[in-house]
Amino acid sequence: MSTRWYPIYQKGGPQLRVFLPNFWLKLVRTEQKQPQNVVQFQCSMEMTKHDIRNYLEKIYNVTVVDVRTRIALGKTRQVDKGYVVKDDDIKYAYVALPKEEKFEFPDLFPKEKETKEADEKTLDEVKKGHKKFLEKNKDRHNIPGWFSI
Amino acid sequence: MLARVPKEITRRLVLSVGRLSTATEVIETEYTETPQYPPILNLSPEKKLERKKDAYYEEIKKVKTVEEKQIKLNMPRYYGFKCYMLEEERIPYNNLAFTQHITRTHIIHQNNLPSYYDTINIDSSIPDIKEDIEEALILEHEGYMKSHEIKREDFTLEKGELEKIYSKNIIYQINRILLNSLNSNYPHIINSQVDIEPRIESFWYAGGMNPPNSVRKGRLGREWTKHQENDPVDRAMQYIGVPSLTVRSSFPLAPIISSSEAENPALDVPFFQYDPRTVGTHCSYRRITNIPGFWPGESHQFGTISYNLRGHLLEKQYKDPNYTREALHRQGILGSFGWLNAQANNLGFTTYNDITYPLTTQCVITNGKLWSFYVYQLNTILIHSKHVHENPKRNVCWSTDSIKLFDEVKDGKVIGFNEDVLKMLVKFYANQPVVSGNLEDFRPFLSNKEKVVADYEDPDKRKWLEKEFKFIVSNRPRHRLPYEIYHWEKIYKIDHKTRPMDKRSRPFELFQNPWKRTYDNRQPPYIPRKLRPDLPRHKGRYAKEYFP
Repeated sequence: MSTRWYPIYQKGGPQLRVFLPNFWLKLVRTEQKQPQNVVQFQCSMEMTKHDIRNYLEKIYNVTVVDVRTRIALGKTRQVDKGYVVKDDDIKYAYVALPKEEKFEFPDLFPKEKETKEADEKTLDEVKKGHKKFLEKNKDRHNIPGWFSI
Repeated sequence: MLARVPKEITRRLVLSVGRLSTATEVIETEYTETPQYPPILNLSPEKKLERKKDAYYEEIKKVKTVEEKQIKLNMPRYYGFKCYMLEEERIPYNNLAFTQHITRTHIIHQNNLPSYYDTINIDSSIPDIKEDIEEALILEHEGYMKSHEIKREDFTLEKGELEKIYSKNIIYQINRILLNSLNSNYPHIINSQVDIEPRIESFWYAGGMNPPNSVRKGRLGREWTKHQENDPVDRAMQYIGVPSLTVRSSFPLAPIISSSEAENPALDVPFFQYDPRTVGTHCSYRRITNIPGFWPGESHQFGTISYNLRGHLLEKQYKDPNYTREALHRQGILGSFGWLNAQANNLGFTTYNDITYPLTTQCVITNGKLWSFYVYQLNTILIHSKHVHENPKRNVCWSTDSIKLFDEVKDGKVIGFNEDVLKMLVKFYANQPVVSGNLEDFRPFLSNKEKVVADYEDPDKRKWLEKEFKFIVSNRPRHRLPYEIYHWEKIYKIDHKTRPMDKRSRPFELFQNPWKRTYDNRQPPYIPRKLRPDLPRHKGRYAKEYFP
């Protein structure tokens, strides 16, 4: 299934045992608002509609009702205001689940309470340290902080 | 207290009166007893645009003939409009809510026809017809098995195509039998016309759906439109369908419900907010067309029955048990709405000028064995912009399940013939059009003298309009290729300005948008000098054009 070029085995070279497939799907957030049963993927160029359907049904056990694909043209950009290069094209797949099912894109990086609290804690500590520093130096006017015995 | 009258009137008065009488009289006429103010208009950009649009709709309403109205609708775009294509037999998944939204249709699903049909008495004619129909079924079944198309080995047909051949033959036979045997009891049947595979195309604007990303980005780019970022956009809908057979009459069928009942908010219509492309509708640039299967000027312009096929269901299926039912509903709704809307356009109404009376039609979707019946009442065709929320009228569709007419044909006998299906079908034929009132009343937005282009006396105008109308409805591509931005231009001239020394001669370099070219923005045909009347050389070079 793989079309990758693996280095030819030389005596003493490491044995390659992992064969990566060409087929992959990447779940992405929808650009245009879609009905709740539609899921958008980026997929490898080689995958056809049938491949996408089989991939989801056989590996992830998802009921797929309809698959539509399109290929988005890669953007072009100028390198150092010189020549123009083009990014790779991307194949998008829109997969329709049964009408009753709903899909919501997961919140991958939730800003948790804990991290917020931890941030506040460190800020408090810094503030406290600064206060201590000021307290220590209150009768040493115009003398730089590093000047001490 | 005296108030000032508008300046223009005063000036005219001064001109006419000034010479004859003294200045005091002028001052007296300048004032009126009660103050007269011009109406106070809302000067916000949205309201201004709305007034501009309303004026345009009025302009279309005033156009005299059917063909000219269709040309007028096409005037804003030379290369055609971006249309969301609704094809009869291409039914993507999860399309019912979308279809109901764009046609503003409420579905009443039941196992029988609406109670209106209970008053039609047909029992006396059933037994005779039943025998004939059974005979026709046997004949067609055997004929089908032997038929040329199916036996040919080099000519493999899809399952759906095969079914279509079979069902078409049955439809033709059943229609023939019913017309022949019912016309003695129901004289209105004699006065009806039958079309075989008429071409039905229909166009309307539907609103209320989210804007596409390109529109959204455009709005975000201008400071004064930022607040409208997510405002809905109207989309041009173009339906294309080919029923296998239609029956028309010269007067419309009676409405099933009254117009006040059609405004009942209990007739709910699902609101579909997404872009139509998210449910598999595709777009195409084309001239907009309204063709009900006959040309303007036809005497029988009210459709009564249409037969549609369901062979496409064998070719495309989705893994959802409800798909078949929803696909049939969509076909029934769009088939009826599309046909009635095209008929309404032939009566002088357009997507901007709503119908003034309801239109009704009956639709049958069948493969010869399974029959689904649809009765559709069109109450409004105003489904765009603000009307999505403000228009109280809804269209109503009564539908039945697919019912078997017979179980099978075996050994030259029809097994399990279902008389109820036949009764429903006969009721469709027996439903009499309302022959009351003048035909003029059905076409309020057409001129009194000229209804169609053929009524014009000027032969040049007649010919020109006829040619232009036929060109528009043909949707044939123009001789010259349409404008296009080549890919290398997009990369090296638009996205990255790498060629500053090139001569700027292309439209995108001259701040022009050829897609916004209007239909009349073109050179009229040249008349050679020899054919011109004796005029100075620079006069009469170009033929006259008659754009509405």
